[in-house]
Amino acid sequence: MPVADDSRTLTWQAIISSNIIFYLISTATIFLVWDWIASAGLLGMPRVLGVLQYLWALTFDPLAGLGLFGHIWASLHRVLLGFLLAVAIGVPLGFFMAMNPFIDAIVGPVFNLLKPMPPIAWISLAILWFGIGEQSKVFLILIGALIPCVINSYNGIRLVDPGLYDVVRMLGGTKRDEAFQVMFPASFPSIFAGIQLALSMAWTCVVAAELIASRSGMGFIIIMGMNISSSDQIFGGIVVIGLVGWLLSVLLAQLERWLCPWKREI
Amino acid sequence: MSSRRAFFMKILPYLSLASFFVGWQLAVDWGIIPRELLASPTQVIKLLIMKLTDPNPDGAVLLEHTWISLQEAFIGYLLALAIGLPLGLGMAWFRVVEGFARPFFEMLRPVPPVALIPLAIFWFGIGLSGKVFIIWVSGVVPCVINAYVGVKMTNPTLIAMARTYGASDWGIFTKICIPSALPMVFGALQIGLAYSWISLVAAELVAANAGLGFLITMGRRLVMPDMVLLGMFMVAITGAILGMVIKKIENRLLAGIRR
Repeated sequence: MPVADDSRTLTWQAIISSNIIFYLISTATIFLVWDWIASAGLLGMPRVLGVLQYLWALTFDPLAGLGLFGHIWASLHRVLLGFLLAVAIGVPLGFFMAMNPFIDAIVGPVFNLLKPMPPIAWISLAILWFGIGEQSKVFLILIGALIPCVINSYNGIRLVDPGLYDVVRMLGGTKRDEAFQVMFPASFPSIFAGIQLALSMAWTCVVAAELIASRSGMGFIIIMGMNISSSDQIFGGIVVIGLVGWLLSVLLAQLERWLCPWKREI
Repeated sequence: MSSRRAFFMKILPYLSLASFFVGWQLAVDWGIIPRELLASPTQVIKLLIMKLTDPNPDGAVLLEHTWISLQEAFIGYLLALAIGLPLGLGMAWFRVVEGFARPFFEMLRPVPPVALIPLAIFWFGIGLSGKVFIIWVSGVVPCVINAYVGVKMTNPTLIAMARTYGASDWGIFTKICIPSALPMVFGALQIGLAYSWISLVAAELVAANAGLGFLITMGRRLVMPDMVLLGMFMVAITGAILGMVIKKIENRLLAGIRR
């Protein structure tokens, strides 16, 4: 009998000493305080249920011709297009810059000149060049996502331990072996980190572009919410943007685990 | 032969930059790219000199716009440091702080700060406080993460040793964890600044009546590509200078810590 008692006290201790109980209390507090502020009519906050109701309604009642998922897809479509283009251009560019000193000397200075420019600052130029259609948004995402792709693939390849190449050479490996046995596996984690950064940058850029000039997408929903002073709509849009951004990063992390099982966790 | 080659490699970056600017200038001068789409470097420099003294057509001289952006950036950034760093350090060492702050932080983290711009305008209007809010949000996230990771990466041997000698929890936190987290904390200063600067430009593009982002927007509305480029150039150069200043401070303060 005392044994059973012991184990029970132990489990209780385990529950209390793990952080889960804090997380539960804290999450509940956040939503309760939010709802309390909203019901008191402070700060123009929407009720928690009001936001959910709004999102539910938007799923079936189109806003500017598109339902909730239509707007999500409009944003995602731009992100995927710009992001894939950026990866297709940026990773090889970083690779060639790292491998070939001529290309590095030619492209490097121009790239470093454009690098400190916040990508969102390009938006006005993009609108002047491409109008307010899809092209200007994809261009902006391309610029934003390109920079981390180039930097990380450049650094990833440059920082491969030269000793590893020596090992392959000493064991009688060819150039091909050096590339496939050493360079690719050693630089992949860094390149993939750049790709992850690029995706989150792309998501930021698409929201910014849609805030400034657009007729569809999640950024359009929140800026419309601001224009008609509907806090339900602003909050609902922000919640969905956060959720989609989170899902994208989770998917990419899974993809990395699958593609690159040799990566060591820090 | 090889010394000539080495010399060529040394001047190649300058050649590349020079041909970039010359090509840009000629493309505009010869009308390959229409003037309402792109301005040449000389036009931008001309406008830069003009804007130093002339508040037309956007209502303020260049330094005024820069000063307004800097002011917004500094207030938001300092608030982000003042709240984010202690929060991150505390979250890493005290379980209660982590338990209560973490869910809120994890909810805030995946939202791009740019998405909060409409909310900031809804709450604060288009003045200073809305921008400060946006910059605070964008700066606070990297501050918390880096301070947290910095403390978590403290060498456990040092902590165990301090415990053996009877140091208190608080003593270990202040004497061992915080100093060993400092390099990561300074990393946060750089990242936080870069994020803040991006969000600031976005916020000013969406709604403002002064600042560098506003200059860019006005350039677009008036179809003056030289003004757009001038704004972009000022944003880039100011951001780069701020980054260098922080790097200098970092080197000075960390001189004794890094090997």
